[in-house]
Amino acid sequence: MVKLLNRGAFIVSLIIAMLSTGCLAEGKTVSGWAWQRVLKQDRFQDAMQMPTAMFVDAEKGHYYVVDSGRNRLLSFNRQGELLNIFNAGRALQTPFDMVKTGVGGIWVVEKGKNSLSYIDLKARTVTPATLYFKGTLVYPDRIESAGSMLYVLDKATGSIISYDSDLVAKTRFSCSDCGTGFVDFKIHGKRIWALDQQGKAVYRFRLDGTREAVIQLGDTVNFPVSLDIGPSGYIYVLDRHARDVAVYDKGGVFKYRFLGKGISRGQLYYPVEIRFDPWGGLCVVDEGNARVEIFTR
Amino acid sequence: MRNSVLVMFLLIVVALLSVDRSQAADVSCFKCHDPARFTGKVVHKPVADARCDVCHNPHVARYKGLLRQRQDVLCYSCHRQQEKAFARGVVHDPVARGNCSACHAPHAGSRKGLIRDDPAADCFACHKELPEKYQVTHRPYAEGRCMSCHRPHQADNLQLLAGDSDHLCLSCHELAELEKGHEDFPSKLKNCLSCHNPHGSERAGLIRNVLHQPFKDGCGSCHDGSAGLGMANCLKCHPDVQEQMLAPHSHLSQTNGNSCLNCHSPHAGDDDNLLKGPERLLCASCHGQTMAGYRQSRYRHSDIQDCSGCHEVHGSRNLAMLKGDGNGVCVQCHETQGKFTHPVGPGVLDRFTGQMVTCVSCHNPMGTEFEYHLVREGKKALCIVCHRAY
Repeated sequence: MVKLLNRGAFIVSLIIAMLSTGCLAEGKTVSGWAWQRVLKQDRFQDAMQMPTAMFVDAEKGHYYVVDSGRNRLLSFNRQGELLNIFNAGRALQTPFDMVKTGVGGIWVVEKGKNSLSYIDLKARTVTPATLYFKGTLVYPDRIESAGSMLYVLDKATGSIISYDSDLVAKTRFSCSDCGTGFVDFKIHGKRIWALDQQGKAVYRFRLDGTREAVIQLGDTVNFPVSLDIGPSGYIYVLDRHARDVAVYDKGGVFKYRFLGKGISRGQLYYPVEIRFDPWGGLCVVDEGNARVEIFTR
Repeated sequence: MRNSVLVMFLLIVVALLSVDRSQAADVSCFKCHDPARFTGKVVHKPVADARCDVCHNPHVARYKGLLRQRQDVLCYSCHRQQEKAFARGVVHDPVARGNCSACHAPHAGSRKGLIRDDPAADCFACHKELPEKYQVTHRPYAEGRCMSCHRPHQADNLQLLAGDSDHLCLSCHELAELEKGHEDFPSKLKNCLSCHNPHGSERAGLIRNVLHQPFKDGCGSCHDGSAGLGMANCLKCHPDVQEQMLAPHSHLSQTNGNSCLNCHSPHAGDDDNLLKGPERLLCASCHGQTMAGYRQSRYRHSDIQDCSGCHEVHGSRNLAMLKGDGNGVCVQCHETQGKFTHPVGPGVLDRFTGQMVTCVSCHNPMGTEFEYHLVREGKKALCIVCHRAY
């Protein structure tokens, strides 16, 4: 009997010890996510400074990282090896986000010029364009593409605006009831998923502008800055202040969270964007640690 | 014989146990503590019941005043409904810190709710930035009736107002009378606080002290029906702000089409920046959890008056919208740091990330659970993050 009691006490104390070390509390053992690789410049003297976004070229199997602090774009292969560093002849001014087109060009949000710039890789030209919506100046922040359309997040209004290839504005996706507007969005399954930071909610729109759903995240997040939709339809939300990723099912029910604060491998300091690659990896762009880390299950 | 002694002993024990412990405590307490200090028009129930021991341990305690528990834990052990209600929305700082006695007398008093005799004095004890009176003082303020407009525990707004601000104004001021005094008002009369300071000012009509030049020039300079009221209108005169907004991180964000109006009044303000309220309150309106985290941290950078001491308010090319890198901000005040401590600066790179080691690599001024607001325990855990061989 005494032995049984002692064994019970041992098991209870083991559980308490695990909880107190954050082992279970942080969900690291239940989430099943594991660090896979890092995208970074290995030469410290040439390290990235405040990378802010990434893009994945599924066809070529390349990752592209926007190195905002050093005004350049870096490309990596699927193994995480650096392929190229591109600064468009020093023409880029505070690049912030990018998408690659199917015809060998790159659209880059240049905050320094408040422009959406087109880099023609063959012609080696950079053409900045100032965007407007109904006569009002747009401040491009995030960019996504779907088909021939570009979708641009206007930081000044917190709304998403679609543009055709001639940069003619078409549709605006906004929320009049969501405080300071959207801070990030992704296109998944012919839907726009937009993150309302202040209201801690995810808005889902059809591409024709119709609002389909509002998914409340509640107090499960502190300072959400980015989101993406996983292969199974789960919603992943990056919490900059908590330095972790919160995961919700399709209905918005909180499931678990993973990752944590730090500078070591697999830890986050000032994360700014998440994005799934076509191979199921979750890429986390970390401004503070100046790298992109890729996690897989 | 032995049995009768045993019976006698048991009787004595039972008699001792049956003595009313509270009465005994009461008698003992008031031998030293003057009972007159514990009487009044309103007496707290445990005091009225002479149950000093409900809150105090007569022998020894971890808490000041020989309290059995932390003050708020004691209060909420009876006032359970309040505990739930006070946790909602924006919580007044003394409530958040569990300092009920900042405003309430724990034993006896003359006011309902055991509010201390001069509630306004309690408010001013913390709100030292507020003057006792202004050149022109709003009557409720002059009379110390803070609760006419504010809620003392919590509210759904940062100013802890008891309701919508315009609605509060109209609870005393007749709309028809107000309209007579605002004949040129370009729209329906609203948003009183955009021009008026509800406490007081140097100007008649409680108009805020500093007037925006276009407001001085007359409402028509902006509200002429043609000029836009968006951010572009503001940036015409403030191009330097536009420059700052082009940084990777900025405070551009939606508010009725004009980001500037998130923080600034277009009409009048109490300082040269025409802020819509005290800076920390404005910041907390979006960064409430950050502020709460700062307040609740065990160790944090003290003497932080305003966020703008370290952070840019419009836009920044640094992490966390700091005014410089993790050293540049700190050496504004800590001039000698970094010269004799752990190496920091451009030549010292973190082995994991290749980023410059700075003050904020080890310290978090916004607060941590460790001494010197270190990000980890400072004797070992912090060091071995980098120095693993040790």
